[in-house]
Amino acid sequence: MTIAQILHDLLFDYTLRTVALGAATLGLVSGILGAFAVLRKQSLLGDALSHAALPGVVLAFLLTGSKEPLALILGAAVAGWIGTLWMMAIIRYTRVKQDAALGIVLSVFFGLGLMLLTFAQKRPNASQAGLDRFLFGQAATLLQRDVETMAVLGAVALGVVVLLWKEFKLLSFDPGFAATLGYPVRRLDILLTSLIVIAIVVGLQTVGVVLMSAMLVAPAAAARQWTERLGVMVVLSGLFGALVGLAGAVTSSLVAHLPTGPTIVLYMSAIVLFSLLLAPERGVLARARRQARQRWQFAVEALAVHLLHHEGRPEEAMESELSHLEAELRWEREFARRVVREAIAGGIVTRSGNRLMLTPLGREMARQVMVR
Amino acid sequence: MENETNPSSVLRLSFGRPKAIEVTDLTVAYRDQPVLWDVDLDVPEGVLMAIVGPNGAGKSTLIQAILGLVQPAAGQVRIYGRPYAEQRHLVGYVPQRSSVDWDFPTSALDVVMMGLYGRLGWVRRPGRRERELALESLEKVGMAEFADRQISQLSGGQQQRVFLARALVQDARIYLMDEPFAGVDATTERAIIALLQELRAAGKTVVAVHHDLQTLEEYFDWAMLLNVRRIAAGPVQEVLTDENLRKAYGGRIAFLPRVTNGREPEAIGTQGQA
Repeated sequence: MTIAQILHDLLFDYTLRTVALGAATLGLVSGILGAFAVLRKQSLLGDALSHAALPGVVLAFLLTGSKEPLALILGAAVAGWIGTLWMMAIIRYTRVKQDAALGIVLSVFFGLGLMLLTFAQKRPNASQAGLDRFLFGQAATLLQRDVETMAVLGAVALGVVVLLWKEFKLLSFDPGFAATLGYPVRRLDILLTSLIVIAIVVGLQTVGVVLMSAMLVAPAAAARQWTERLGVMVVLSGLFGALVGLAGAVTSSLVAHLPTGPTIVLYMSAIVLFSLLLAPERGVLARARRQARQRWQFAVEALAVHLLHHEGRPEEAMESELSHLEAELRWEREFARRVVREAIAGGIVTRSGNRLMLTPLGREMARQVMVR
Repeated sequence: MENETNPSSVLRLSFGRPKAIEVTDLTVAYRDQPVLWDVDLDVPEGVLMAIVGPNGAGKSTLIQAILGLVQPAAGQVRIYGRPYAEQRHLVGYVPQRSSVDWDFPTSALDVVMMGLYGRLGWVRRPGRRERELALESLEKVGMAEFADRQISQLSGGQQQRVFLARALVQDARIYLMDEPFAGVDATTERAIIALLQELRAAGKTVVAVHHDLQTLEEYFDWAMLLNVRRIAAGPVQEVLTDENLRKAYGGRIAFLPRVTNGREPEAIGTQGQA
């Protein structure tokens, strides 16, 4: 299939267009809100909340008997909300810490959800078919009105983020200071958490409760690698989310039996891996290179200081011998050679036979090191 | 009383000045554990006051209670005679440096501008005027050249100065600081203390949690000794007596200062902790 064909289908094929729009919306919204969750060290909150949403979805279905998206979404939101309040209460009124409280809420609600789901599916009524798509998501079943609901919810959530940008930034960085300025920190906290519940609800049908937390955490973790500014990070996180949503939808439409949700999450994981390894400042490779450079730099400085120390003294001839360095600075032979090579290349020392001499530049550097 | 025969000049100066902070019968408890017990404190305007005491004495809690960050079980706090909620524009706050994550994606200038958020109110974003104020404030702490630096790339002392700049930009009359000298280099410590003394000279009131008894007299003119209860408060020389220190620190103090009747204090220090 050609690119032109894919673009054509994206615009005119009802199913693909709907799925792609839904997945991109989900990615955008969860990417942006996930950035705040990650910065506030609440990465696992999304996990607990999305699992907590499951019993809400099934209960809403059992009560209304329909799979009307608004009803199910409302059920998910209410259950997610109750889960949040439960968790906050556990942290506040018991000695259980946040990580354990998250675990408790997650497993209790998810267990309840699975139980209700099994119960619903055993009922002699055909309409419950497809309810299990909330477990792992099933983007192919998205309808246009689902996407419309998602878009409206997402727009509301993002609108609040734009309006309260400065407040959310301060809340994420220094909530104590925010409180002294008079901001209602607890209410802002609940508001931001509610927005995360919205993001989860938006994504449930597409990626399901099990994989939803990846869509909150992964884009943010990847975006953080590339920038030191909150605004750039949040936008980038949203873009990553939207991009993988789109890519996942297209890919699964091209390959038979490839589920959309897991494909999206795998794409996202690839971006995370790439970012963790290769980001220019914070990436693993960049850090390793920086450390190696510092190590050589330090060794060259030590060599220069050593030579300066003995310069013009009777022992100079002996001390500046290459073989002596190994004993004096306790360097392995290979290491010593490499340091000397680096020093010569950097114009710090010159070598004549077996003796090393500081260049004027090297002398200057050694003096500066000693002052430091 | 000792004061009557040997009145401290600081005490005389403070007499008749308005009370910047007034804490009455303050009790704070975490669960069933009292952290502050029935604490009274008057801070006269224009003093540079240290809150000292052993670990777990409730020093930070006292600051946080004054700021309304923790709910007291009993007692009240007044800022120039009124509740904090009505007077927050008069108070600047420097939290403990370790209370935030310095890997947050933001710049030094951005952090300083946060000091102006309260004045901006809801929704409105900081603009050019706020940038200028924040830059001025960074200049006062010698950090102007680091304005655009990401905050994780700053040293501990520089981060502390960014926090100070954020409080300065609040343009308050009272500054509350939680361990402004914790983990900073000697240069920063001197810069900070010079700044605090400048603030006092400008008629501001500064209250700081402090750990080092050794520098207490040199840096501050007013002190409070705290160990859950208030042990003593007033001019430094009157607070730092053998008896008060023993009450505050128990047996944990190695050398006690001798400050009675005008004699020079000798080696003051604490053993291991505090």
